[in-house]
Amino acid sequence: MRRDEAAAETRKRKRRLGLRVALALVMLGAAPVRATPPDAVTMDVGDEPGRISTEEVRIEDGPFARQLVFYRSNDAPGTVVISTADRFLYLILGGNRALRYGIGVGREGFQWSGLVKVSRKAEWPDWTPPPEMIERQPYLPRFMAGGPGNPMGARAIYLGSTVYRIHGTNQPETIGEAVSSGCFRLANGDVIDLFSRVDVGAKVVIRQAAQP
Amino acid sequence: MLRALRIGAALALAGAVAGCSSFDFGNWGSSPAPAPTPTAPQAMSFTILPPAPLIGKWGLASYRDEKDRPRTEKMARVQCKNPYVVAKGPTDGVMMHVADDPDQHELALKKGADGKTYLGFNAPPGDPADREVVELTPKLMVMKFVDPDTNSRYGTFVYVRC
Repeated sequence: MRRDEAAAETRKRKRRLGLRVALALVMLGAAPVRATPPDAVTMDVGDEPGRISTEEVRIEDGPFARQLVFYRSNDAPGTVVISTADRFLYLILGGNRALRYGIGVGREGFQWSGLVKVSRKAEWPDWTPPPEMIERQPYLPRFMAGGPGNPMGARAIYLGSTVYRIHGTNQPETIGEAVSSGCFRLANGDVIDLFSRVDVGAKVVIRQAAQP
Repeated sequence: MLRALRIGAALALAGAVAGCSSFDFGNWGSSPAPAPTPTAPQAMSFTILPPAPLIGKWGLASYRDEKDRPRTEKMARVQCKNPYVVAKGPTDGVMMHVADDPDQHELALKKGADGKTYLGFNAPPGDPADREVVELTPKLMVMKFVDPDTNSRYGTFVYVRC
C-alpha cells in the first residue's frame, strides 16, 4: 500500500475507532456484579489510549462539577459513597455535608455494588491494555507507563482486592455516562482533588440504586 | 505532488533494493532522469539497512518519563507472554505497525544524513511518520516517534527480545 493511501486508511480507521463500541476489559475481580437498569445511558465510545488530558482538566459547570452539597449520612467523614445511578461520587465531610464529584460508571452489565476499602493509591498509574484491545489496536504497547495519554488518567484509587479503581481519564467528556468496565472515572483535575482527600483504608460504599 | 512522486519512486524501488544499500531519488526510475531545471529538486539519497536485527518476537512497552525506563524494560520482558512479532517483509523491510493503524506495513530501517537511524516508510529518514531508533542491540530496541504529537501520546517504545 502506498504511504499516502495508508495514511488515508489510517484516518478512516481512527474515525471508525472513535465510534466503535468498547470491548470488555479483562474482568477478574471478585466483587459482585449486577446488571444495570435497562434505561441506563451507555455512550458508544471506546478507550482512546494515546489521547492527551492534562492535570488541569476538570468539570467546570453543571451537576457534574465538583461542589459542596447537603448530604445526610451516618458514615464517618472520609467515607466515599458512589451512587452509580446518579453518576455521583460523594466524599463525606460530616455535618450533613459532602463534596460531590461527577463520575463515569460501568456500562450495562458492568455495574456493581458493594462495600470495600481503599487498598492503594497511585499517581499517574500504569496501564496494561486488555488482550481484546491489543487485538483491535495491535500497534499499542502491551504496557504503558503512566502519563497524560494513559486511559487511567492522573491518579488511581484502588478498591480493595478487586480489579476496579476510581481513576482519572483522558476522556473527560464521558463523565456522567456509563462507559467503563466497572471502574469509576473522574476528570483528571477532579481525581487529583479527590486523591488528596482520601486516605488508604477509607471506606468506599458503591450503590447502584439512586439515593432515596 | 513532488513529494508523492518521490514516495512512489521509493516504494517501487524497495522491491529492488537488497541488504544494506542506498538509493537516489533523483536518478531512479525506468524512464531517463529529467533534465535538471532551475526548479528541479535536489537528489535525496539515504541508506536502507538490513532488517534482520528487528526480526523476531519482542515484549513491547512504552514510557514517557526517562525515570520510568528501567521498569518499563522489565514490564516489556513480562509482555513476552503476548509478544509483538516482527516478520521480514516481502522486499527489504519488516512488517510492523505505524501509529493508529491496525494494519501492518512494510517498513524500512533507514540511515539518515544526520547519522540517526529511522524506521518507517520509504520516505527520506526523519519523515513525520517515522520512528527514530534510539537504541538497537540484539536484545533491546528503543524507538520514539518523530512526530511530537504521536510521541507525546504513545511515548517511547521499548522492545525486549523474547
